[in-house]
Amino acid sequence: MQNRNLTADDHFKELAEAVVEMDEERAVAAAHASLESGIDAYDAIQQGLSAGMERAGQLFEEEEYFIPELLMCSDAMYAGLEVLKPHLKKTAGSRGTVVIGVIEGDTHDIGKNMVRIMFETGGFNVIDLGRDVPPQRFVDTAIDSNADIIALSTLMTTTMDGMGTVVRLLNEADIRQGIKVMVGGGPISPGFAKRIGADGYAVNAAEAVKVARELVAI
Amino acid sequence: MSIQFPVQTDVMSPLARLAAYSRGESIDRLPCVPIIGNTAARVIGVKVSQFRGNGHVIAEAQTASYRKFGYDVIRVFTDLYTLAEAMGAVVRYPEDETAYLAAPALDSIDDIARLQPVEPHKNGNLPCHLEAMKRVIEAVGQEVPVTGALTCPFTTASFLIGAENLVRLVIKNPEAVHRLCEVALESAIRYATAIIETGCTPSLTDPMSSSTVIGPRQFLEFSYPYLKRLIDFIHSHDKKVTLHICGKTEKIWQAMADAGADCISIDNDARLRGAVESVGDRLRIMGNVHPSEIMLQGTTADVRQAVFDCVAQAGASPRGYIIASGCSLPTETPFSNIQAMMDAACEIGWPISPDLLSRGQI
Repeated sequence: MQNRNLTADDHFKELAEAVVEMDEERAVAAAHASLESGIDAYDAIQQGLSAGMERAGQLFEEEEYFIPELLMCSDAMYAGLEVLKPHLKKTAGSRGTVVIGVIEGDTHDIGKNMVRIMFETGGFNVIDLGRDVPPQRFVDTAIDSNADIIALSTLMTTTMDGMGTVVRLLNEADIRQGIKVMVGGGPISPGFAKRIGADGYAVNAAEAVKVARELVAI
Repeated sequence: MSIQFPVQTDVMSPLARLAAYSRGESIDRLPCVPIIGNTAARVIGVKVSQFRGNGHVIAEAQTASYRKFGYDVIRVFTDLYTLAEAMGAVVRYPEDETAYLAAPALDSIDDIARLQPVEPHKNGNLPCHLEAMKRVIEAVGQEVPVTGALTCPFTTASFLIGAENLVRLVIKNPEAVHRLCEVALESAIRYATAIIETGCTPSLTDPMSSSTVIGPRQFLEFSYPYLKRLIDFIHSHDKKVTLHICGKTEKIWQAMADAGADCISIDNDARLRGAVESVGDRLRIMGNVHPSEIMLQGTTADVRQAVFDCVAQAGASPRGYIIASGCSLPTETPFSNIQAMMDAACEIGWPISPDLLSRGQI
């Protein structure tokens, strides 16, 4: 690739395409190329890698891509990110901090990982507590990190109640106003979200980011 | 006063009802199957963990649950992991909740060669489940079909290597996926053989094959061939096969029929009416009252309404329809809601009123 002949937009396009095409090596090469051309690392992440991941999210919603493709896209995105991150001059104006995890008793975390990726792509600072997380830990972490959002996931009907417990603990700690709770996962419905007093529900990872943006925009 | 105990008003036994229904003869009501797994523990007042290693407790619970509600198929099922556990996956058993996968059997695809197909009478909790099936057959096998849950190869493969690893391999290393599915299939066939020897019919479940996880083309490449071989094997023993795949399935209904399923069990992410129109002339359809939204959290009126909606959509399906929950019921599903499902089936009765069926056409 002849770097000097490429415009910034060409670089962004190449980065985005590498992500959409699930090509880790191409993403790494494109990241190096954009740095060599003097492209700002922050712009390369936002307008290149993130744009690609957003496109991948769209393809997922359109059922062109499924979980395997989305995971491979995110692998490419992270590979490019590794190259660009050390060159960040300005820290991104984060949209907010999200504490995310799979509720205690459930070890299915593909869905949660997808949501985490989309949050990171969407400019959120994400604290991932992993899977099988006790309700109290969500609350403690959210307080310690001054988080804006707690995002809870479960695939199991057996563990849904843990989500309500998190909301209750937040209420008891009297910090409910500052922290929004959003929920998702197989057995979760908008009705359930409402019933336990959650602020938001998303049906999939792509929608989760939109919901989160709305929640912190208030 | 309305009928409270349909079990007592049922004229036919489940076996007689299903046989007559399949022959196109008159029946007393549609078959109805609230899919009960660990909820059975609540019927006899034991903790879910007491099922582990105790086939006689599972059998006692499943038999008691059937006798209490009078549904049309018993399915011996506690969790999805029994087969993978018998191949080395680590399963955790909370005291009173459904077991869950703590760690896959393998750390790396380099270890695939180490995997051994199961010995059903020796490995993990398989012997206990087989004992449960045998005992349920002895107790009530003369009146009701008894099935044993069997996790299908692609899903078992995900428990062997980890779900996230498996879906990456689908793109990165198809050959590794096929090797995992091949050994999972051999295990499934051996376990199916043992299930059939108890007198039960294997009941197939394959959540990872859902279009919520993998695309229809990936299903055809990585899941379908193994499903087909498994179903062919079960058919060679003159058993009918019910196949349950969770989540979105619309784009693979035809393939599920091609694989040889005699009945497919549809989840709530799929539209029952759509399934009837797509494959209703090829196989029987069961589903899809929402297990959590309706059965766990709804009122008895919600359950009744949901059953009526389902029958309106699918009651006239050419190859037959079974009223059922969309998936296994959550452990704490209220008995009143399970009863309400049975009551609704009785209330609808037979023949199904043309008024109700015409509502499903819209």
